[in-house]
Amino acid sequence: MATELTKERLLEAYRTMRTIREFEDRIHADFSTGEIPGFVHLYAGEEASATGIIMHLSKADYIASTHRGHGHCIAKGVDVMSMMAEIWGKVTGTCRGKGGSMHIADLEQGMMGANGIVGGGGPLICGAALAMKMRKTDNVAICFFGDGASNQGTIFEAMNLATVWNLPVIFVAENNGYAEATSSSYSVACDNIADRASAFGMPGVIVDGFDFFAVHEAAGEAIARARKGGGPTLLEVKLSRYYGHFEGDQQKYRAPNEVANIKAAKDCLTSFAKRVTASGQLSQSDLARIDSEVGALIDESVRRAKSDPQPTAEDLLTDVYVSY
Amino acid sequence: MISVPVVPPSRQASELHQGGSRPIPGSLPLSMPTHYATVGIIANPASGRDIRRLTAKASVFPTVEKANMIQRVLGALGATGIDRVLMMPDMTGIAAAVKRAVAAHAAESHIRWPEVEFMEMDISESVDDTFNAVELMCRRGVAAIVVLGGDGTHRAVAMRCGETPMATLSTGTNNAFPDLREATTAGFAAGLVASGRVAACNATRVNKRLLVEAPGRREVALVDVCVTRHLHVASRALWDAESLDELFVAFAEPDAVGLSSIAGLLHPVSRSAAHGLHVKFANDGREAIRHITAPIAPGLLASVGIAAFEVFPAESSISVATGSGTIALDGEREIEFGPQDHIVVRLDLRGPRTIDVAATMGFAAQRGLLDI
Repeated sequence: MATELTKERLLEAYRTMRTIREFEDRIHADFSTGEIPGFVHLYAGEEASATGIIMHLSKADYIASTHRGHGHCIAKGVDVMSMMAEIWGKVTGTCRGKGGSMHIADLEQGMMGANGIVGGGGPLICGAALAMKMRKTDNVAICFFGDGASNQGTIFEAMNLATVWNLPVIFVAENNGYAEATSSSYSVACDNIADRASAFGMPGVIVDGFDFFAVHEAAGEAIARARKGGGPTLLEVKLSRYYGHFEGDQQKYRAPNEVANIKAAKDCLTSFAKRVTASGQLSQSDLARIDSEVGALIDESVRRAKSDPQPTAEDLLTDVYVSY
Repeated sequence: MISVPVVPPSRQASELHQGGSRPIPGSLPLSMPTHYATVGIIANPASGRDIRRLTAKASVFPTVEKANMIQRVLGALGATGIDRVLMMPDMTGIAAAVKRAVAAHAAESHIRWPEVEFMEMDISESVDDTFNAVELMCRRGVAAIVVLGGDGTHRAVAMRCGETPMATLSTGTNNAFPDLREATTAGFAAGLVASGRVAACNATRVNKRLLVEAPGRREVALVDVCVTRHLHVASRALWDAESLDELFVAFAEPDAVGLSSIAGLLHPVSRSAAHGLHVKFANDGREAIRHITAPIAPGLLASVGIAAFEVFPAESSISVATGSGTIALDGEREIEFGPQDHIVVRLDLRGPRTIDVAATMGFAAQRGLLDI
């Protein structure tokens, strides 16, 4: 029988989801003060997807993320202090304050980067997966993309290549219903993104992205299959973002109570907490302790980010090229 | 929504009972006179896309094929003189494809199709859509409902359709309950029954069902109820035989696929028998009296140890013995329960009514109902 998650793993899952939520909620609040430079695209509401999938990975497994990448970074183990500093444009940031929200990358953690190019992750992840295959490891590579990117040629080409070369790739379509302000029910010609899988000769599965356990179980099957040489899979994770496409988005294209209704009925953190306490796997005090610790962590990350120095003019031409 | 002249349900019913019909000017000879009868169509947009594509190589059932099947049903319903179809709307393109097809058909063909009305209702993209659509259809007096889906979809329709007969078509992953047959024939039989040409007593059967009582919930299954030791519903499907603890079946056919196949290979139970079967699996320390290889999902043959089995008499109840886990209804985990929760399963003989396509067509042939 597939083993149930241990208490430690459940605590880890909750901590990751709670950290993503707190991180995003804090940026949402702080962005309105005008102190944070650049654009931010927040992942709040989608935590079960990144967490349920990335919990199956090690540092040697790679992910490619999107412009909405904070959740993927946190789940993959990128340091939260450095991420916050990066978003605040400080020299202590993950990319020394020169990347910002949309370019956080940490190869030591197997995080190939958030990506400002919609659909840009597909070709990157196929390269990583090809290296894994040539080195005969059992590692896997995950390409996160959205419903907007699902219409991009890069994603089609990557899915085709992944099947042709039988690469250990999981394509994860995080379908939050909107490509910027355009509804996916209008812009995606097929009815489910998962339906496109059959055209590329791979299995396509739809998963409830509000349910950590559903995502974790489906991802586990796809990843185990890829590790054994079974080839690529397309997972369509249906979920919703709680904030706008970017901070400042007025979201006139959404129904007035759309987000409130989703939060009330489906929130992944609430659902997770309810289930693990009802089953007796975790207690309310377990969860409250994590809430408190995560709150303190995010407070400290913001305090440090505010006080850390910005890059200087001398830093402008460093880290531009890599020497091999 | 495609606008159509409204025929009050009362008029539909009275004309149906009186055999009311009139020829359609310009209709082809193969089209029977119009009967003011309405048929509902429910096509589950989500069926055929769950994790069993990964775990069991289950089929993908594309939306375009569901839309094609509906068009074949419409042709058959039109040929039997059905004048109107109510169809559940959806966000995934089935209704949109049918709407385009209806418009194209009207422009290009002289073969009569019923008027198709897409019901005005909120869409939640959940099972609630099926519940709402079936309730609305029954209120509008549909004489039959054609259902495209797997066991789960048929279960959802059965929970709301009352005495209205279902014509079942399998487009799901696991299809122990619905018929695996051509949509044209199913539509033909549905039209014959809905128009009153073949009486329900000659064309339909009342199925058994399993009633599950859990704290705060009363659920229905049409084929099987399985108790598993998975603590969470998660991705719903079951593919791990070692997680199974108990199985209750309303009927069990040896050539079925899905969990009921285990019981079917152990002790077959027909759809008409006044009993079901209760099986306990040899997991969690229980010793096996038999081992069976069974197709517990499409493409997934599993070795299953049987600890005990017993006939499950109709109208009797059995309490679930497992301490905590999940209850799967017709193959999909639906209920999470703990040691404090008391779960009872009952076999009920008053389940949904379904159209027996073979019996209907046999009766029609015998009486020459399709002679021109």
